[in-house]
Amino acid sequence: MSEYINDSPDVLDDDQLPSRQGDGSEELLAGFASKETLHRKKLLLRIDHSVKSQLLQNIEQLDKLLSLNSPPELVSDESTEESSDEAASEGYEEDDEEVDPVDTQEIYDLTAHIQDPEHPLSLGQLSIVNLDDIQVRDDGNPKNMAEIVIRITPTITHCSLATLIGLGIRVRLERALPPRFRITILLKEGTHNSENQVNKQLNDKERVAAACENEQLLSVVSKMLSTCK
Amino acid sequence: MSIQLAKSLKLQNAKTWSVDYKKAHLIDCNLLAVASADHKIKVLDIRDVDNIRLNDVLDETVHKKTIRSVAWRPNCSSWTLAAASFDSTISIWNKEEPVVDYNDSDADDVYNQDEMELLAIIEGHENEVKGVSWSHDGMLLATCSRDKSVWIWETDEMGEEYECISVLQEHSQDVKHVAWNPFVNVLASSSYDDTIRLWKEFDDDWECVAILSGHKGTVWCSDFEIKEVEGGISRLCSSSDDGTVRVWKYIDDNDDEYGQQEWICQTILPKVHERTVYCVSWSENGLIASTGADGKLVIYKETDEEGTWEILAKHDLCHTVYEVNVVKWINLNGTDMLVTGGDDGYINLWSVNT
Repeated sequence: MSEYINDSPDVLDDDQLPSRQGDGSEELLAGFASKETLHRKKLLLRIDHSVKSQLLQNIEQLDKLLSLNSPPELVSDESTEESSDEAASEGYEEDDEEVDPVDTQEIYDLTAHIQDPEHPLSLGQLSIVNLDDIQVRDDGNPKNMAEIVIRITPTITHCSLATLIGLGIRVRLERALPPRFRITILLKEGTHNSENQVNKQLNDKERVAAACENEQLLSVVSKMLSTCK
Repeated sequence: MSIQLAKSLKLQNAKTWSVDYKKAHLIDCNLLAVASADHKIKVLDIRDVDNIRLNDVLDETVHKKTIRSVAWRPNCSSWTLAAASFDSTISIWNKEEPVVDYNDSDADDVYNQDEMELLAIIEGHENEVKGVSWSHDGMLLATCSRDKSVWIWETDEMGEEYECISVLQEHSQDVKHVAWNPFVNVLASSSYDDTIRLWKEFDDDWECVAILSGHKGTVWCSDFEIKEVEGGISRLCSSSDDGTVRVWKYIDDNDDEYGQQEWICQTILPKVHERTVYCVSWSENGLIASTGADGKLVIYKETDEEGTWEILAKHDLCHTVYEVNVVKWINLNGTDMLVTGGDDGYINLWSVNT
């Protein structure tokens, strides 16, 4: 996993990712300090390709120190990255859950921040997860079944990690969503050489259950999900 | 005809994967073994719907992972249970049937002290064991795994020693489930490769005698009709990821071709399920029940014309919004009932009212 199969994917900046309108995230992201640090982090990542790089960590530390003197809403870049996500989910929790259907933006917010297993970037930034490729059928009633279909776009057609990415998405959604959801995860048509094989595996409940009892696999998935919250 | 919930029992905070039912010989009780994702196997004693007690929780340190399947050994006087686990092993448990019934006075203590003991651990599969099934005489045990193989084990009267007599490796993918015919030693194995294979002993070796193709997705389960057919083999029903339940019928032996048999898909049952059908069960009275990821429980009845089936009853959201993994017919004091197990950790008992 040390060598990147895809060296120069089209990377979206985090503030380019679709987010819910009018939830205050634009204002948060518009803050000068946060936007600048985000941008800098992204430039550094392109040079170094690793979140573990000493330079990047030093600069992050510096940003954190500087942010201590900033107004309260302009926190460190790390948490700013998640701000649109948090704002959206907090808004959701305040509402009465019984009558509030889950929508595609919510599913996007839950999955777009999962870290790619080989790039130090999120599935949203790499356009593996796209808002337009999520379908939700939910009336919001916890006593009825609901359905989610999410189509993922691997970065290359022979990506050996497509199954792992799909597993990460499934684990994330099963942990975060109420039990009424039946989740179908598919590779977007024509994006992978062994599309049917991967699709079959990703939607086999028994295989997923067994994978989740495999400690090695589970620790990789946990690492991918560590960037969510 | 309607299906009504008679009893609902929460057994654990983890998926219920499998149940198996056995009627005791000496005392008047029904045993239900329950397998779950929390590595546990429970034995319930069911007298009637309002008299159910937890008889035993088997030693939970024996298996390190999910228990996927359980099966009571038929045709033996003691209570013997086989359990298949994702930890790649199969365990065999045993207890002599109590001669004193706890429902009789003062027998409570005697009864409860007597737990099921681990008789054997069977190793051999490379990874997750998904299914386990005993032959009708209780002398052969079949197991299947994600390693694509089906193993046949021979045992003795005591059920302590297990010798592998055949490893069947013709499936091209995981084998999800195995089921023996209740009258003759013919085994059906269901697979992720979308087929069912039938196996029979021929010239001292086990051979694949038929491949049942037709399902357009993983076959999750199969069950034989409980009806003795002179000179033949009773029918088989199967359930699949393609949302259908099919009935397969034995036609004839092709005499000169290594015991090969001709089977046909006799019918596809009226389609009700919207998602994967995880389990089917054929009752002694000829009814088929099915359940699956859509939470529906469906009962089908054959009309006077063989091969034509109609829906007798159906019930939605059997385990609220959760998926249902298993359904089994049981006979409680002369009445046919259904047991289901779901992802919610419950087992539910259903009465079928006319």
